[in-house]
This record gives sequence, structure tokens and C-alpha cells, in this order.
Amino acid sequence: MSLLQIAWFEYRRRIRSKWFIIGTFGMPILIMGISLVTGFMADASAGLETKQYGLIDETSYFGKKLSQALDLRYADEETPPLDIAVAEGEFSELRNQYDMLVTDNFLDAYFVIPADFRSTAQIRNYSRTSTNIHVYEVLETELKDLLIEDKTQQFQLSPEVIEALFFDIDVTHYDVGATEKREQDELIADYIAPFIFMFLLLIGIFTGGQLLLRAVLEERSSRVIEVLLSTVSYNDLMGGKILGLGLLGLTQSAIYLTLGVVAGHYYDLSLITPIIGLLYFAYFILGYLLYAGIYIGVGALFDSEQEAQQAIQIITFIAIIPALLWTLVIENPNSTLVNVLCYFPPVTPFFMMIKIAVGETTVFQVMSTLIILTISVYGGIRASAKVFRTGILLYGKRVNLTEIMRWIKA
Amino acid sequence: MIEIGHISKEYDGIKAVDDLSVNIHPGRICGFLGPNGAGKTTAIRMLMNIIHPDSGLIKFDGAVTRPPSNQVGYLPEERGLYQKISVQETLEYFAALRKVKNAQRKIKLNLYRFDLGERSNSKVNELSKGNQQKLQFINTILHDPQYVVLDEPFSGLDPVNQLILKEILEEMKLAGKTIIFSSHQMDQVEKICDDVALINQGKLITSGKLSEILKSQANERLQVTPLDEINLKHTYFDGYQTEVRGSSIFLETGSLSRQKVIAEINALFELKSVRVADPGLEDIFIRLVKGIQA
Repeated sequence: MSLLQIAWFEYRRRIRSKWFIIGTFGMPILIMGISLVTGFMADASAGLETKQYGLIDETSYFGKKLSQALDLRYADEETPPLDIAVAEGEFSELRNQYDMLVTDNFLDAYFVIPADFRSTAQIRNYSRTSTNIHVYEVLETELKDLLIEDKTQQFQLSPEVIEALFFDIDVTHYDVGATEKREQDELIADYIAPFIFMFLLLIGIFTGGQLLLRAVLEERSSRVIEVLLSTVSYNDLMGGKILGLGLLGLTQSAIYLTLGVVAGHYYDLSLITPIIGLLYFAYFILGYLLYAGIYIGVGALFDSEQEAQQAIQIITFIAIIPALLWTLVIENPNSTLVNVLCYFPPVTPFFMMIKIAVGETTVFQVMSTLIILTISVYGGIRASAKVFRTGILLYGKRVNLTEIMRWIKA
Repeated sequence: MIEIGHISKEYDGIKAVDDLSVNIHPGRICGFLGPNGAGKTTAIRMLMNIIHPDSGLIKFDGAVTRPPSNQVGYLPEERGLYQKISVQETLEYFAALRKVKNAQRKIKLNLYRFDLGERSNSKVNELSKGNQQKLQFINTILHDPQYVVLDEPFSGLDPVNQLILKEILEEMKLAGKTIIFSSHQMDQVEKICDDVALINQGKLITSGKLSEILKSQANERLQVTPLDEINLKHTYFDGYQTEVRGSSIFLETGSLSRQKVIAEINALFELKSVRVADPGLEDIFIRLVKGIQA
């Protein structure tokens, strides 16, 4: 079978390439590496510098208290994110001086605690550029605590009353019918796993598509295509390429899913069940075949990769839709928009995998989307086969959409 | 035998091949000749079943169906090789597609014959243009095909390798293979081909045995070299169709007696030489094309 020989050739020559090995194993290592480095940097406050702020305190009370609270808050940190120099006085008198300090970069910004702060609970910020939102949060939290403390004294409330009034709510999670509560790690995994499935599908399908595009362009520009077509049929050539590079994508996915199972086992998390794994491969295969038809058809129409990549940009745009809307699917898996998108074949695999991973789909929806995808794949491959057959030997000719439609209808 | 019967192919209203009919016999080398854009490559692609004719038929030994791929060897004009895989892998891949038996032995043998034995693990893009052409030729004949189509096979080859290629073509011819050789280099064709098909603007101008075509066109032209070059512009020549090349004038004698014309010229001025011109294939081709256009 020529088709299988072509598939094996395409698969073998790419799986041995250093770029496949780097891409497959390098990407998770890179992602993990970035996570570890950013985590380390966040913990160590590496690369951060202390921002200098001024504070004009018209109350002659809260400024000092805030300074003490911040010293306490950042007592263990070598490089605290902010340092506040407090000055007691009137804003109208100190304003010019503080404006100049900011203009001359001695201060990053300055705050004002107005005299009526007790009743308004409002402070003001003056800066040349936008102030880090984290600074706002810190000041808001600390000043709120100080204001509460101040009011407890004003109303002569005991610490017991305060403790009874201010507390955090803790929600404990249980699966329906379960007696053991779910750990925080599991809840995070519930949120992250659907994203990972969608991400893997996107990577696998579009990487396979891009490889197909390049393979066709390579054979077209080097005229190997003529030797091949004098040896094998158009269908065997196209089918072999799609199969070979599809197997490459499946290999990559299998590696990632295996790593996922191993990682899940290590952390005692059930990320991938057999049914999720099975459905992942079903949606991967159908999604890949749908896009493979498009990529191979486009590859047959252009002489250079640059032109082909420009033409394929619309496909890249489709890929952005699930990347933008994945949180919507996780939070509202049964919304009308999500259900409609699940039946739009170009994005069906991505949205359905998120729904399956969050457990918010039905057997009917799975079956019906698989059937619609299969029909779309059949139509897409047939159309692209006609484009491939007609366009692959047309060198140096600009083809318009009307012409392509005529080929497809022929 | 390959019978090409009245094939035509049109692209966007332009006839790339127009009612072309040629018979190619086994054990002979047939040259497809014509300038760039004549329709040779389109005709060859139809022959190779890469594209289908709009009308007409191509028969291989009487059958309309195309022979299996291991019976056909095709060397395209430009490259036709994967650039980033090794010489060995290239040959193995195509051998597998054509189901070649004892492929490893044949690959090794051919690589050494073309002095590429030491380069089997080299990537194709590391080879010189000449070596790539040799590899392409090996890929065309490795499976010992019955029908061989070569589009500009000498391109990039040095004289030594041109000689090896000619030897192999002779061997294949003796083995009864049907060989088509497409080129725009008429001198190469004259040296190699037994039969020719002259094509221009998609149409066949003439076809047949090369020796007969050369013979049929040979005795209509005289090459006259006067002692004094000023006589190249003698009014005597005004009555003839002429072409001046260097210090000679070529004279179309048509149906006139050559002896009579020679005698007349001899009487008019002194000559260095006068002889029956032996036109090359290129001359014949140009004359025939001009004749059609006139």
C-alpha cells in the first residue's frame, strides 16, 4: 500500500527530527521551568525594587500607624515592595513640595490621608504614571484595619466583639454522595485540567496542520511532487501525508497524556479517566482531519510559505476563539453560546473537550457532535482533494476563490 | 510501444498541447524537441498520468490503462528530490513505493556506478548540482522500468558523467526499453536520439526517424563562401532566400538544379568554397517553424 508507505515515511522522518524531540519534550520542560522560575522569583521577590511613596497625613494619626503596620507586614522581607515616608501637615501647604519630589523621581507617587478620613474612609493618590494596583490593595487593607481599630476605641467595643464581628467564611467541598471533602489541589485541577485538554488539542491539531502545509510546499517547490505523482495516485499521496503527520500528533498527545496520568498519580489527582482519554483521541482525530484538509488544500495553491501562511491566517483566528472563551465554558458550560459553539465544527473539538473535562455534557451531545464532525471531515477532505489535485501543479498562477469553488463543484 | 493519439490540453483558454500524436517505439530513444513553453512538459505530464488530457488517448503496448508505477521511470526537469534527507533514504523511499526487489543491492550498485558510493549518508542538499542530477537519474532507473521519460537529463552533468549516462541509455535501448528524451538542446538530441518529435506552441511540427528528417532536409541548401566577402551582398543572391553567417552565405535552392546554381556563382566571382549545407536539427526546426508561421 503506497498510502501506508508514504505515511510511514512522513512519520519516521519527522519523529526523528531534533525539532520534534525539542518541541515535544522541550515545551513541558519550558512551561514547568517558567512556572518554577516565576514562583521562585515571586517567593524571593527577586528582581523587585522597593517603591518609594510619600504620605501627607492631615489626621496626624493614621500615617504613623500605617507606617508601623507596613513595617510589621514586611518584617521578613529583604526587599519590601513599598516604603512610605510620612509627613504630618496640610496638603495645601505641602503639595508643591511633593509634586516636585515626584517630578524629580525622588518619589514614585504620594498619598494624602485627608482630615475627614475617619468619616469618609477615602484617601487620595497623586502620581505621574499609574500606581501599582497591589499598592492600593495593601493600603486599603491596612487602613481599613486601622479604621476598624479606631472605631472600636471610639465605640468602646471589646476585642471579643471585634473577633465575633470580623471573620472569614470557609467553604468545604464534597462530591455529590461523597463523605470525604475535596482538597484544594483537586479543585484547582478541576479548573486547570479542561484548559490543558483544550491546549493539547490546539497544539496537536495546528502543529499537524502546519507540518502538512510545509510538507506540501516542500514537495511542490522542489518538484518532488512530479516524481511522486508519476509513482503513486493523488489520493494515496494526500492520504499518506495526512495519516503520517496525524500519527505524529497522536504520538505527541499520547506522550502528554501519559505524563498527565503519571503526574496525576503522583499528586493523587484523577486528571484523566479512560473515557476522557478515549474521547480526547476521537476529537483529536476528527479535528485534525478537518484542519488537515484545509492546510493541505492551501499548501497546494501557493508557491512560497510566506504566501501560504498569509492565506492560512484566518484559520489561526479560529484557533483564538477557544483560547479566549475557555473560562466561559468552564464557568457556564451549559450556556446557549457554549452549546451553539459546540456544534460549530471548526471549534467543536476544543469546546467539547472542555465540557467533557468539567463533566457538563450528555451522551447525546457527544454523539451528535462526533457525527457532525465526521460529516464535516468527509466533506472537507473531498473538497480539499479536488483542490489538491487541480492546484498542486499550477505553478506561478494566482488562484481566486471563485476558481477554487469551481474546482470543488466540478 | 507508446501511442500518443490526438491529445490536447487547455489551460485558461490557452492550448498547451494541441492535437499531438506521436508513436514511441521500444528499443529506440525518442526526442521531444521544442523551445521553452512548446508544450513538452505538459505532454510528458499527461504521459506520466500526472494530468489528464482534455481529449485524446495514450496507449502503452496497446492498453489504455497506465502501466504500474514500477514500470515507469520519470526524471523531471527541475530537481525533484527531498533536500533534507540522505541519499540512501531518498532511494530507499522511492524503491519502496515502486516495490523494488533487492533494493539495497541495486542502490549500492548504482551509487558506485555513478561515483556516489561514499556519499550515501550525505544529505541531498550537501551534494553538488551535478551529483544531485546523478542521484535523480539513479532514482529514475533503479527499478529497471520499461518506460523511461527523461526531461533535460544532462543538465548540470560534467562530460564524464554525461558519457556514463549515455552508456546507460544505450544499454537500456538495447534491452528494449521505450525511452523519451525531452530537451531544448538540439545537439544533445542529435547525438542520442533515434527518433524525434518537433513540437512548437503545443503542436507537432514533424516526427519520425532522426536520420530521415535530417536527410529529407539536407539537399536544399548551399553554403557559399566567396573569396572576397563583398560578394556576400552580390545582387545574384537577391533572387533567393538567404542567410549570412560569418563569411558564408546559405542559399535555399528550392527546386532548382544545384549544379546549375553552382556553375552560375562560379562564373560570377571567385570562391573559397561551395558545398551542400548539412543542416543541423536546430536549422531544420527553425526552418519548419518559420514555414508554418509563413
